[in-house]
Amino acid sequence: MNRLWKEFSKGLWKDLPPFKLVLGLCPVLAVTNTADNGLGMGIAVVFVLTLSNLVVSLIRSIIPPKVRIVCFIAISASLVVAVELLMQAYAYPLYQQLGIFVPLIVVNCIILGRAEAFAFKNPPLLAIADGLGMGIGFTMSLTFLGGLRELLGKGQLFGADVTWQGFEPLGFMVEAPGAFVSLGVLLAIMNFAENVQRRRKGLKAVEGPTHDCGSCGGCSSASNC
Amino acid sequence: MKEMIKMMVVLSLICGLSGVTLAALKEQTASTIEEQVLTFVQAPAIESVLSAHDNNPIKDRKKFDFEGKTITVFPAIKDGALISIAFETFGKGYGGNIGVMVGFSMASGTLSGIGITTMKETPGLGTRVAGHGYTTQFKDHSIDSVKLKKQGGDIEAVAGATISSTGTVNAVQSAVSIFNTLKPQFTDGWS
Repeated sequence: MNRLWKEFSKGLWKDLPPFKLVLGLCPVLAVTNTADNGLGMGIAVVFVLTLSNLVVSLIRSIIPPKVRIVCFIAISASLVVAVELLMQAYAYPLYQQLGIFVPLIVVNCIILGRAEAFAFKNPPLLAIADGLGMGIGFTMSLTFLGGLRELLGKGQLFGADVTWQGFEPLGFMVEAPGAFVSLGVLLAIMNFAENVQRRRKGLKAVEGPTHDCGSCGGCSSASNC
Repeated sequence: MKEMIKMMVVLSLICGLSGVTLAALKEQTASTIEEQVLTFVQAPAIESVLSAHDNNPIKDRKKFDFEGKTITVFPAIKDGALISIAFETFGKGYGGNIGVMVGFSMASGTLSGIGITTMKETPGLGTRVAGHGYTTQFKDHSIDSVKLKKQGGDIEAVAGATISSTGTVNAVQSAVSIFNTLKPQFTDGWS
């Protein structure tokens, strides 16, 4: 149980995918112009990530290691098409908004990364916990970033007006450059907070990413961290 | 050798299973998706070309056969009488087919309007065929001689977008020929 919680909770803060692992940035930048879109995209990713982790983990003993990447891609691609069909059937406006980024979940490195680094080596329950945790972390980050940009760029949150009369929205925040600026500022704040924490514990502040690279086994530069 | 066979078997098995599952899911969702596409993609165009009505044109749609092709027709009914109908035809544009929703008024036998549903024309140039200035020319236009000015008609083409304009007019012309052939069936279709 303890282990399960550990695997689940690491995706919520310690290894928060977009901000700590800095993975899967393409949708993070592209669809977060409103909180709604971020949430919708996040839920699609939770679905695909959890199920792909489960399936990969269930059949990990019969997948020949030489063709494992192809198998992972085949599994996640089928799940993505399933999500696309379900989204078209039950949430068409969201599907229109997200457009090409739904099919692109297939090549989202979080999916392949978790299958390779975690699900392929761990039993199904742990894999589900890992997928759910990572997915929810991803959803939270996207919703937060989307909410921030929507608030500053349109003065709205989830489509409802929340600002005072006379608030002048920064139209730039909901455009593409606003995504880079807000992501950059958020990363800077998070790294700064991390360093403040480390100093308080008496550790030396570090430059660059502060997450623990041991967790991404597939990372080729893992030994450099 | 044994390893190779295992790879082939496992990979084919995974892909085959995915294929079967997806096919089943597609079958399951097909009718819901059709409904959704009609509601969100075609409904604005349908509403813009049909005259005042008190029914739901999408719900009351019917399929007709024309030269081996199936055409989905959307009716506008008011007080039980069929006032106008609309259906979609395609004309070859600059970047692919242009989908045009063409509305016909049943009583006068004229066009009640056109609306562009799908197109891949050049933004800012060919896409202007969807603009108000161009499409309003078709409103209440007679169904004879729907032609561009340079073909001897009275439709003003969008400047710099001759191919897109021609494509749209071609789509309207094919809609007219379908309408002329199937008019009796349309009249009886919803009575």
